[in-house]
Amino acid sequence: MEWEYSVIEALQRTDIDLVAYLPDSALSDLIDRVEELDGIDTVLLSREEEAVGILSGAWLTGRRGALICQSSGLANTFNALGSLSKPTRLPFLGIVTHRGDLGDHNLAHTAAEYPMPELLNTIGIRNHCLHDGVDVEQRVTMAAKTAFSQEEPYVMLLEPTLLEGDE
Amino acid sequence: MSSPDESRIPTQYECTEQLVQTTPADGLIVSNLGVSSWILSKVEDRDRNYYMKGAMGSTTPMGLGMALGTNAPVTVIDGDGSMLMSLGALATVARESPENLTIVVMDNSEFKTTGGQPTLAADASFHDVARSCGLRSHSVSSRDEFETAYESAIDSTETVLISCAVTSSVPEEYPRPDYSHSYLKHRFRSAIVEGE
Repeated sequence: MEWEYSVIEALQRTDIDLVAYLPDSALSDLIDRVEELDGIDTVLLSREEEAVGILSGAWLTGRRGALICQSSGLANTFNALGSLSKPTRLPFLGIVTHRGDLGDHNLAHTAAEYPMPELLNTIGIRNHCLHDGVDVEQRVTMAAKTAFSQEEPYVMLLEPTLLEGDE
Repeated sequence: MSSPDESRIPTQYECTEQLVQTTPADGLIVSNLGVSSWILSKVEDRDRNYYMKGAMGSTTPMGLGMALGTNAPVTVIDGDGSMLMSLGALATVARESPENLTIVVMDNSEFKTTGGQPTLAADASFHDVARSCGLRSHSVSSRDEFETAYESAIDSTETVLISCAVTSSVPEEYPRPDYSHSYLKHRFRSAIVEGE
């Protein structure tokens, strides 16, 4: 089963009904499929930081949101994570392609993105790297359940070994 | 005694007072961190007010998210400094354009919360930026103009932005609401989401 279907199953199983996103070539199939779903509304962003506000506002009015973007975009969200999501405990699920490590050709992705797990841990945003060979649906489902029951963001980092597995 | 000059630039307090009077009882109001929130809480501390305490630049996106989650009217009180920080969000809002969303930018062209340093808003037009993004927009500079524009925005079937010129306010006149992040969150969400 392609990983995209596993992510979509997890989104649906955990009642996520709003997805804010910016494209990445590795995410294009996932985003295309999410946009076709009846039960999930999508918001195309100008900048990833907006998603923290949008998904927080949506949760405050009863919805459950996810951010889909690449790790460079997640770096754009840090002030909002640190000054809104974390102190106020406003949840969303992050589905983020992890650039800057195995196989990456562009040095611009390395400095702020290779250490993304450590950067997130430093500001107290929990995260989990999804490599190939794992049950993606199970782990994304567990992350979403934790995020919305504990009222904190949870970020799943999609590793190149997972993303290249279905090429 | 002569009547006050109604064509003068209004204070942010006056416009916020007008805004709260016009907003329906079930309306949500999200206000930018600092002066905008302090003034709103002094005008009326409603359960359906959400005072931002951080994340400058995220106030308008918060309002968009709320508008996508409720049918009730949602009003953003943003500041010119915060709006300048996320002008791209207006393009995002324009694409969604929920009919229940109104964005009011209180423009004193100052970073009032940090001591009144000038912003770049004196040379930028939120009205023109919003229109260029495809949003309906008004630019107002008196209390009467604000009242008319806000009433029509509440009744509109698309998102409306109102750029409202206001005089410099005195932050010391407005006590900061003594609420924790978690209290504000639960007070607001409980007022809106039934059964939780």
